[in-house]
Amino acid sequence: MTSSPDLTQDYFSLFGLPVSFAIDRDELGARYRRLQGELHPDRYANASSYEQRLAVQHSALVNQAYQTLRKPLGRALYLMELGGVSQNDMSRHQIDGGFLIMQMELREKLEAIPELMEPDEAIEHLLDEINQDLRAEQRAFEQAYNGNDTEHAISACVKMQYLDKLLSEAERLEAKLIDG
Amino acid sequence: MALLQIAEPGQSPLPHQVKRAVGIDLGTTNSLVASVRGGRAAVLADEEGAVMLPSVVNFSEPERPVVGAPALRLASQHPADTLVSVKRFMGRGREDALEEARRSHYCLSEDAQGLVRFTTASGDVSPVEASAEILRSLRARAESTLAGDIDGAVITVPAYFDEAQRQATKDAATLAGINVLRLLNEPTAAAVAYGLDSADQGVIAVYDLGGGTFDISILRLRAGVFEVLATGGDTALGGDDFDNVIVDWLQRSSGKDSIEPGQHRALKALARRTKEALSSESSVAVDLSSIWPDAPGVTLSRDQFEALIQPLVKRTLRACRRCLRDAELDQVDNVVMVGGSTRVPLVREVVSEFFAREPLLNIDPDQVVAIGAAIQADILVGNRPQSDVLLLDVIPLSLGLETMGGLVEKIIPRNTTIPVARAQEFTTYKDGQTALAVHIVQGERELVTDCRSLARFELRGIPPMTAGAAKILVTFQVDADGLLSVTAKEQATGVEASVSVKPSFGLSDSDITAMLQSSFQHAQGDKQARHLAEQRLAGWQLIEGLRAALAKDGAALLDAEERQLLEDATAALAALLEGTDAQEIKAQTESLGRLSEAFAARRMDKSIHEALAGVAVDTLAEKVGE
Repeated sequence: MTSSPDLTQDYFSLFGLPVSFAIDRDELGARYRRLQGELHPDRYANASSYEQRLAVQHSALVNQAYQTLRKPLGRALYLMELGGVSQNDMSRHQIDGGFLIMQMELREKLEAIPELMEPDEAIEHLLDEINQDLRAEQRAFEQAYNGNDTEHAISACVKMQYLDKLLSEAERLEAKLIDG
Repeated sequence: MALLQIAEPGQSPLPHQVKRAVGIDLGTTNSLVASVRGGRAAVLADEEGAVMLPSVVNFSEPERPVVGAPALRLASQHPADTLVSVKRFMGRGREDALEEARRSHYCLSEDAQGLVRFTTASGDVSPVEASAEILRSLRARAESTLAGDIDGAVITVPAYFDEAQRQATKDAATLAGINVLRLLNEPTAAAVAYGLDSADQGVIAVYDLGGGTFDISILRLRAGVFEVLATGGDTALGGDDFDNVIVDWLQRSSGKDSIEPGQHRALKALARRTKEALSSESSVAVDLSSIWPDAPGVTLSRDQFEALIQPLVKRTLRACRRCLRDAELDQVDNVVMVGGSTRVPLVREVVSEFFAREPLLNIDPDQVVAIGAAIQADILVGNRPQSDVLLLDVIPLSLGLETMGGLVEKIIPRNTTIPVARAQEFTTYKDGQTALAVHIVQGERELVTDCRSLARFELRGIPPMTAGAAKILVTFQVDADGLLSVTAKEQATGVEASVSVKPSFGLSDSDITAMLQSSFQHAQGDKQARHLAEQRLAGWQLIEGLRAALAKDGAALLDAEERQLLEDATAALAALLEGTDAQEIKAQTESLGRLSEAFAARRMDKSIHEALAGVAVDTLAEKVGE
């Protein structure tokens, strides 16, 4: 009986934006706010309960779409999903040894930081390093994706996932250091 | 959760009128009610001209609770019957509340679900019931000032309140006979109070140090949209704690080992006056002779006081730093101060230093939340159809599921914008398994035992299959109030599994029904008249909404036949509303509701198209070639 929001529409089309890794974040934000301005349950506070339910569903979908497209990794994973690459294909992907060794080295650096004399400075350096690597993989992804090179797109995507995980661990450590 | 969404009996018989909506700040120490009148939001005063209602309820005499200042005067003689700071106990289990109760000298018991109750001369009282008395008193004040029944209220809660605490607040409002338009986070309300009249944009930090809770929120205001970027805080830190450190200091300085319950209340009142005086004086002489006749007089200097509260104030800055980080920002454009405790000079000093901004203080920090809530209530109730202000709030704590080994798997991380829906797939682990148990928790920790247990679900009616073959999609949905509901569906067969929710905290369905019934009997008793009024209101609201929708979109979205069908059904319902058959009204309202669903869905789609068409037709056309 309850009709759900149109889930067949992809997130890019929901915002009226082209399906692409490069995105105008300000434009995305503006369209997001415009859509919420129409669909948010607060706009239906006096409507029938059916319309209220519908508003919650639509508004939640728009939130989900915005969160997915807002950040590069989310966008890349979503593009892969749209292209029919499953989570399974991703996890079966063989990462080259050089990258894994680099990851291990970064991880060891991270673990050693709390013991250092100047941990604050060290963590800042490490965060910079990880962010640089991330940007490089984002460029690699964009190139592969635009060139229809699925193998390399998957590879860049998986590497971004590794780096993103490391980045949040490094940020957690930074938080701990700041809080004392 | 759907089971607690019991609609308040209808009280606004006449549509097309300016509606009476109020904002309520249900505070730990004081509560306020505000309303927008003649385009201006202002707090409402009681008969004596006082705007702050002390959040105190005395239960010395059965059936006759005393609320506010008179209750406060009874506190010394009846410490165990006089409940103060009940907000700290909302949605809490007995274990959580023991430390609080020790300080306050309450006698605690618990109900069947482990929720805390206070033992008083009027029997056991829950924090929800005590809060409902406060809300009832504010409702009466508003109805006498505004000369009529209240159509709806926005009630504020600390942003950091978890699901159980929010649900408890909503339950209290329901018990008090208040139609809740929305639960609104206190910092968001404060930002609205400051932000609405200006076409400002920028990042606002709201530092809210109240009697019992501390909240920090960071919001971005752009094109009328308030977007909460991050929120944090401490549900057990506030001005009460400043009073407590003074009480401890007074006790130490007088060489006393123990305090009687009545003495504790008196000491605390003395501590509060001392604290308030220290906001303008550099030292204050404290006369303890009324409490301990043999005690020498003592003097507390502002420096000493600041040293005592320094660790507490520092705790608030840690939360500010974390919140800034969560918002991915280094600085803010404006700082708004909320709560009476921000009158303490040290607090102002430290906060303006931390954010490198002079805080905004032009609205009374005790009233700013109620005023913001009143503005939002005015918008939600429909008095400002042209307003484009919108609040996008977040959930304060992550929602997760118990997995193997008592670990938590996060489903919705904290600071996610609401409303939000996430789906998670489950499967069976035994052949022929027809039910699945799901345990939902809230919190940031990795172990289930360190998080708050919210609900346990049993999905039943799964068709028997081999282990791992069933695919059960469980969808978690958090609405705009921050309240959770869950639905489940078996994917392979399309069978909707039935879900029974048992909140681990909060009131059960039967609890609230029983409480409602008893409170109705107390109030007026005539259930049937009430039922009819409810059905009529629901009918009127539907007609009103539908007529407006038909006038606006009927011609564009419906063909002549569809439109005629809806108009006839609307007319039929309107005719029934003249009569007194509640059953028939209910049936016709439901039938018209179903009939209008397709129209509602088309209107929603139209909204999406219009929203995008409005952005920038040129760029849109360029980019997607429409």
